[in-house]
Amino acid sequence: MSPLRIGLNASLLFLVFVVQETLISRIHLPLTGFSFYLAVLLLMVILENRTGAVILGFVGGLILDLSPASDSPFGQWALILTAVSYLIAVNAESIDEIVSRPVGLGIFVALGSSLALFLYLFFNGLFGQATGTIGRDSLVIGGNLLWTMILAPFFMPVLMAIRDATIGSRERI
Amino acid sequence: MARGGGNRSRLLLVILLVTSLFLITLDLRGASVTKGSRSLTQSFLAPIQKGVSDIFSPVGRFFSDVKNFPSEKDKVAALESENARLKSQALVNKDVQGQLKQLKGVLDLAGRGGYKVVSARVIGHGSAASFTQTITLDAGSADGITVDQTVISDHGLVGVVKNVESHSAIVLLMSDPAFKVGVRIARNQSIGVLSGTGGNNFTLQLLDPAGDIQKGDVLFTNGSDSNRPYIPGVPVGQVSAVDHTSATLTQTATVKSYSDLGNIGVVAVVVSAPTTAPRTPINPTPVPTVIVYVTPTPTPIISGSPLPTPSPSATSSKKATK
Repeated sequence: MSPLRIGLNASLLFLVFVVQETLISRIHLPLTGFSFYLAVLLLMVILENRTGAVILGFVGGLILDLSPASDSPFGQWALILTAVSYLIAVNAESIDEIVSRPVGLGIFVALGSSLALFLYLFFNGLFGQATGTIGRDSLVIGGNLLWTMILAPFFMPVLMAIRDATIGSRERI
Repeated sequence: MARGGGNRSRLLLVILLVTSLFLITLDLRGASVTKGSRSLTQSFLAPIQKGVSDIFSPVGRFFSDVKNFPSEKDKVAALESENARLKSQALVNKDVQGQLKQLKGVLDLAGRGGYKVVSARVIGHGSAASFTQTITLDAGSADGITVDQTVISDHGLVGVVKNVESHSAIVLLMSDPAFKVGVRIARNQSIGVLSGTGGNNFTLQLLDPAGDIQKGDVLFTNGSDSNRPYIPGVPVGQVSAVDHTSATLTQTATVKSYSDLGNIGVVAVVVSAPTTAPRTPINPTPVPTVIVYVTPTPTPIISGSPLPTPSPSATSSKKATK
């Protein structure tokens, strides 16, 4: 991944982060818990190779760590999303057939997003941060899984188009 | 999809994981760089949130309105009938307006001795990904808001100021799992700790093992040292269910908040608490007792005439003497 593409992807992710913090979080969806940012980031990660995925995960995590509402230590999201991105990149290679279909891709993104949220809660517990009740946290993670699966097909084509526009011919090969 | 990597990606993974751990360590040790970056983001996001709030607030309420549609329909019907009743009552109650004027004066008087507040609009909500329950206000340190101030709505307690920038502030809602507040039961003055659970219900745990909670008990904030972060006497909620299990040493209960935390539009931040806290009993000032000594004067007895009765003028003059 070239430095230019890292910069472009980071800018796009920051834009999505601003949309998430200012607009999406205002919408009270039933079951709650839809993270547009995580869905976009993990979708971008799936489309990258291992190295690109790890870099994107780290950069994306750092941007999410900037969230003013967050109580977790700075770097926690970077740690989680770097690891999750690597796991996704490794596994996406083995299930290329499933991921190449829009529905399969949506489910994979939703599962990855839920895994990231679960790990976030796990590390919150490790770092002594307050976590909610198991029922409430399950509802948030479940809600995120459901909403990501429902909404991912709507923004996936847009993201893929942006990626195609920004990717260089050398990287395309 | 481009695939590849191998040892290089694994090495990169290790480097980035170590970097993340380094950042976490820095943050946990209180490095100002990490905290400063979040403050900077908040300063950057606040004007955008304010703009988005102005434009898209009906969109945000759309889903909750749809969810609550059946109950809202009943509510509208009830409000319509209530409106009709109030209209007819308004005609009858014109003479009450004079009393209302007096009452306003009393309330103004109470207000002068009460809380000094800064009202603010809610311009943002915490992201679901962070698992924190927060709101962002359009007022900040420029308006006199500082960290650890009580935030109230028209119904009662909302939360506490967690972070402040010049023109925005983040409030930790009482529904957040990290939220804890000392409360007092109005009925028997038992004190306890109310904790957020992440949802609409809260958990109350009494501190006194002998104390008791009943369904419907009303809770008020107990107040903190120097009124920070909580001022005393703010309505918190009502006990909706009492836990009768003997698993805990003290009694616990589920509490429903007075404030509808999911649909808050405007709040008030208490920037200055009253000098005399409502929790402090106010001793009545003793009124001196007036003792009146009356010396009877001899009245001449006239035969055939009845006993003289004091005239009204005489009575009033006697009272004036007293």
